[in-house]
Amino acid sequence: MSRPRLATAPVEVEPVETVGEPEQEEAVDTDRPWLVIVWNDPVNLMSYVVFVLQKLFGYSRKKATRLMLQVHHEGKAVVSDGTREKAEADVARLHAHGLWATMEHPS
Amino acid sequence: MSPRRFKSQGEGLLVTLTAPEVDLLRSIPDELRPVLGAGRDPDDPVRERLFPRAYLDPTEDLAEQEWQDLVHPELIRERLAALERLVATLDRATERKGRFEVEIDADEAQAWLGALNDARLALGTRLGVTEDLDATAVDADHPDAAAFAVYGWLTWVQGDLVETLLG
Repeated sequence: MSRPRLATAPVEVEPVETVGEPEQEEAVDTDRPWLVIVWNDPVNLMSYVVFVLQKLFGYSRKKATRLMLQVHHEGKAVVSDGTREKAEADVARLHAHGLWATMEHPS
Repeated sequence: MSPRRFKSQGEGLLVTLTAPEVDLLRSIPDELRPVLGAGRDPDDPVRERLFPRAYLDPTEDLAEQEWQDLVHPELIRERLAALERLVATLDRATERKGRFEVEIDADEAQAWLGALNDARLALGTRLGVTEDLDATAVDADHPDAAAFAVYGWLTWVQGDLVETLLG
């Protein structure tokens, strides 16, 4: 993502959540969710990615910012999960907004 | 100092632009429509960037094809509609003291955001921009200097718009 245009830090407090770590121990294969992944790219603005994640998934500014930074620093982040149908719909909406998103089923 | 391009106004925005800026925004649909049209080249890198695969796993090729058949026509319609809205709002702009002003509602602001982002994705892909690019530092003698300047301007405008919408 190009030049940082980070919004000011939000004041709201939200519980700490883990990102993109499906519960692989307990889940049986068929229950394992599909993961929707957003990949880093050199064009999308950091502020725009935050805006889109908030808009599409209803995430708080804080959570959307954390996911955006994970994409930026680690190259990708899991932004949502669910059934194959839900993941396909999420990827479609992310593509509609120009984010580079894919879906995968962890084995 | 030029006035802010976007100003929150009720549910919408007041947009203030110079004449060259209006012309540049008007040229966006002409740049994007060929990529979105029926005769498009599926291997065009811009096409690939605007419509990437959903499934990376090659064993999901069938699912990928079904998904593309289902989703891509709608995504193309939405992108074309956003371009139409951009032009329609620019048509409403009125000149005041050498600047063009137009009020846009929340839906129109989303259309602007989408059109600006698609334009940057298309131009950025063609120019091969990298994360470290400083579009303002491209040498004036560079064969793509004008295109980099446009890219830099679009980046600036989109950044302004996002910041305004984020509040």
